[in-house]
Amino acid sequence: MTVATSPAFRTIHPRVRKPRPALMRWYRRNERVVLSVAGVVLFFVVWEIGSAAGFVDKFFFSSPSAIATAGASEVTKARFWDDVRITALELVVGTGASVVLAVPLGIFIGWYRRLSLTFDPWLNFFNALPRVALVPLVVLWFGLDWNMKAVVVFLGGFFAIILPTVEGVRTVERHLLDVSRSFRASSRLIFTSLVIPGTLPFIVSGLRIAVGRVLAGVVIGEFYAQTQGIGVMIYKAEASLQSDRMLFGVLIFTVLGIVLYESVGAAERYFQRWRPVREDEA
Amino acid sequence: MLGVRNATLALSRVNERLFFGVIGFVGVLVVWETTAQLGLYRKSLLSTPSAIWRAALTDFANGSMAPHITTSLSEFAAGFAIAMAVGIPLGLLIGSFRRVDYLFNGLLAGLNATPNVALIPLIILVAGIGYEAKVVVVFLSAFFSVVVTTFTGVSTTAARHLDITRSFGGSRWLAFRTVVLPSTFPFILSGTRIGLGRALVGVVSAEIISANQGLGFYISLYGTFLDTARVMLGIIIFGVFGVVIGEGLRILERRFEVWRPDLHR
Amino acid sequence: MTIDVAREPGQHMALSARGVQMEYRDRQTGHRLLALERVDLDIPDGAFVSLLGPSGCGKSTFLKIVNGLILATAGEIKLHRVAKGREDAMVFQDAALFPWYSVVDNVAYGLVCAGVSRKEARSRAVPYIDLVGLKGFADKYPYQLSGGMQQRANLARALAVDSAILLMDEPFASLDAQTRELMQAELLRIWTAARKTVLFVTHQIDEAVFLSDRVVVMAARPGRVIADIAIDLPRPRSLEMKQTPEFARYEAQIWKLIAHQQPSDTAPVP
Repeated sequence: MTVATSPAFRTIHPRVRKPRPALMRWYRRNERVVLSVAGVVLFFVVWEIGSAAGFVDKFFFSSPSAIATAGASEVTKARFWDDVRITALELVVGTGASVVLAVPLGIFIGWYRRLSLTFDPWLNFFNALPRVALVPLVVLWFGLDWNMKAVVVFLGGFFAIILPTVEGVRTVERHLLDVSRSFRASSRLIFTSLVIPGTLPFIVSGLRIAVGRVLAGVVIGEFYAQTQGIGVMIYKAEASLQSDRMLFGVLIFTVLGIVLYESVGAAERYFQRWRPVREDEA
Repeated sequence: MLGVRNATLALSRVNERLFFGVIGFVGVLVVWETTAQLGLYRKSLLSTPSAIWRAALTDFANGSMAPHITTSLSEFAAGFAIAMAVGIPLGLLIGSFRRVDYLFNGLLAGLNATPNVALIPLIILVAGIGYEAKVVVVFLSAFFSVVVTTFTGVSTTAARHLDITRSFGGSRWLAFRTVVLPSTFPFILSGTRIGLGRALVGVVSAEIISANQGLGFYISLYGTFLDTARVMLGIIIFGVFGVVIGEGLRILERRFEVWRPDLHR
Repeated sequence: MTIDVAREPGQHMALSARGVQMEYRDRQTGHRLLALERVDLDIPDGAFVSLLGPSGCGKSTFLKIVNGLILATAGEIKLHRVAKGREDAMVFQDAALFPWYSVVDNVAYGLVCAGVSRKEARSRAVPYIDLVGLKGFADKYPYQLSGGMQQRANLARALAVDSAILLMDEPFASLDAQTRELMQAELLRIWTAARKTVLFVTHQIDEAVFLSDRVVVMAARPGRVIADIAIDLPRPRSLEMKQTPEFARYEAQIWKLIAHQQPSDTAPVP
C-alpha cells in the first residue's frame, strides 16, 4: 500500500511487549496480596522506627516491639487469662442470646405483616438509638457483674440481627410466595423451602453489622463497669500510663474483629453462592 | 379504572402502615405506664412515660438540659465534619490509584475491625478528657466507614463507563470528575449514613466514660443517682436524634440523586 | 446550528488494517489465546461494512483496537486523518449511557471529552438529538427511556463528535426483535443524512446484510476473517427488502460459511 507512509494517515501501532522476568510475572499475578501485606508491615516498621527516632511519642503510642514484650509478659499472668475468660463469656452469652432470640422473633414478626407494622416504630427507634446510651440503665438493672455486660453485648447484637431478618422475611414474602402458592404448597413447605433459605442471606448480613456492635458493646460495658475483662485491662493500663499494655489489649480486639468479620464474610459468600456476580461488582 | 383502584390501594397501604405504627407506639406507652402504676415491677427499673415527661418539662424549663445537648451536638458536628472533610478526599485518592488501594487494604481492614471505643483510653491519654478528646473520638468513629465506603465506590466504578471517556479521548481528570465522582456518590452517602450512626455511638461512649458535660454524661450522672426517669429521658433524646439524622439523610438522598430510579418510585 | 453533511465520499481508504493480531495469556493456565489472527481489512471512505461472526471471534476486540481502547499485539491500523476532531467514534453496546446525566448531557459528552465547553457542547448536541428522533427527550434521564431510545442517544453521542468513521459495537443486540428492525431502518436513514464510514459489529446475519455494502465474515479460535462479501442490493433500502429472494440468497450464503465453522468452534482450546 502506498498510503502506508502518507502523513494523511494516523497510524495505530501495536503494543511492544517486553519479556518480563519470572519474579516480575509472579508479582504481577499476586500484586494485591503482596501490597496489602507490605502496607501492614510498613505501618509497623514506620511505627517502630518512628518511636526509636523520636518522631512518634513513645509515651503515648509505645512501639511494636514494646507492645510485643508487654504482650509476652502478659500472657504468662493468670490475671490476664481471667480477663480473657470473662470477656469471652460475656461475648459468647450476649451474642448467642441475641442470635437465638432475634432470628426466630424476626421471622415471626416479619411473617405477620400487621405485627411487623406495629413493631416498626420501636424497632427503628432502638436501631437508631446508640445502644451504649442504655449502659447506665442496664447497670441499674443488673449491677456491675459479667451478666450486665453480656446484656450490653446482647442489645448490640439483637437489633442488628432482628431488623434485617424482618426485612428478609418480608422480601421473600413479596417475591417468592406467589410462585409456591400457585403450586398450592403447604404453609409448612413454604416456610422451610422458601422463607428460611430466602432470609438466610439477610440474617448473615445482620450478623456482619452485629460483629462491630457486640465488640463495641463488650468494650464499653467493661469500661463503664470497671470490674473485669480485657476492656478493664486496657482502661487500667491507661490509668497507670502503660501505653504498651493498653495497645496490646486494643490489638486483641483488632484480631478478634478481623477473625469475626472474616468468618461472617465466609458465611456470606457461602449463602450467596447462587447469586450471580453483577458486572459492576466484579 | 385500574389506575383509580391502584391509587386507593396505595393509599390504604400507607394508612395501614400509619395505623398499625401508631397502635404499636401508643400501645407500648400505655402498657408501660399501667404496668408500672399497678406495681408489677419497681418503677426505678424503667421509670414511667409520665415521670419521664415531668422530668423533661422540668429540665427543659429550668435550662439545665440545654448545655448538655449543645455540648453533645457540637462535639458530634465538629468530629463528623472533620471525618467527612478528611475521609472523602482520602477515600477518593486511595480508590483512584489501584496500587495505593492495595497498599492500604489490609491496614484499613484492621483499623475498621478494631472497635473504635477501645481507642478511647488512648485518646484520653493523648488529648485529655475535654472537648477536643470527644471530637477526636467522634472523628475516629466516623472516619473509617467514610474512607472505606468512598474508596470502595471509586474502585468499583464500572469499567464500561470509564471506557466511554477513554473512547472519546477524555483525560483521566475528566473521567474522575464526570464518571468516578457521580458513580461514587451513592457510596459516599451510605458511608455518611454508617458514619453518622457510629459518630453518635462515639459521642455517647466518650461522654459516658469520662466527661463533665453532655448528654452521655447526663445519663451516666443520673444513673449513679438512680434517677431512672432522667436516664430514660437522655436515652430518648439520643434515639430521637438518631431517627432525625437517618430521616434527614433519606431526604438528602432523594434530592441529590434524581437519576436513581430505585429512590423515587 | 445545522449539521454539516457536505462530506463527499472520497476515493481513499478511511481505514486500512494490516496483520492485526491480538494475543492473550490466560492468567491461570498461562496458555496463549489468539483473539485475532492476522486481520487485514480495507474500508473505503463512506462505506458501510459489517463484521459478522459468532461470539468469541474477536470482532468487538478489533473495534476496540481501532478505537484505541486496547492495543493490538502485532500489526497496524491506519486511519485517514481528518481536518479537525477525531477520526473515529464508538457506539457502545447496551447500558452505555451515564445514568447520572440527562440525554443532552450524554449526547454532549463526546464533545466535552474533546475539550469543548459544556455549554457549547450542549447546544451542539441538540441537532443530533433531533436527528436520531429524540426531540423533546433532551432533559430525560436514561432510566426514563426505553432500550431503543437509549441506543438512539448512544448513537447521537457518537454522531455529535462528527468523526469520519463510526464504530458500532452490536448496538442493537439487547433490543427486542421489533425495535431492532425499526432501529436498523433508522440507522440507514441517519447514515444517509450524515454520510459517514461505518464499521458495524454484529452476530445477526440479516442485520449485516440489510445494512452493509460489504459483510466481513469472521470465525472464532483463532479469530480471523474467512470471507469478505459485497452486498449488491440497491439503496435506499427498506425493511421490505428482507423478503426478497436476493436478500435470502445472501443470508443463505453467509449462513453456510458460518455453519461450516461450527465443528472447530466446539473443539478444545489449543
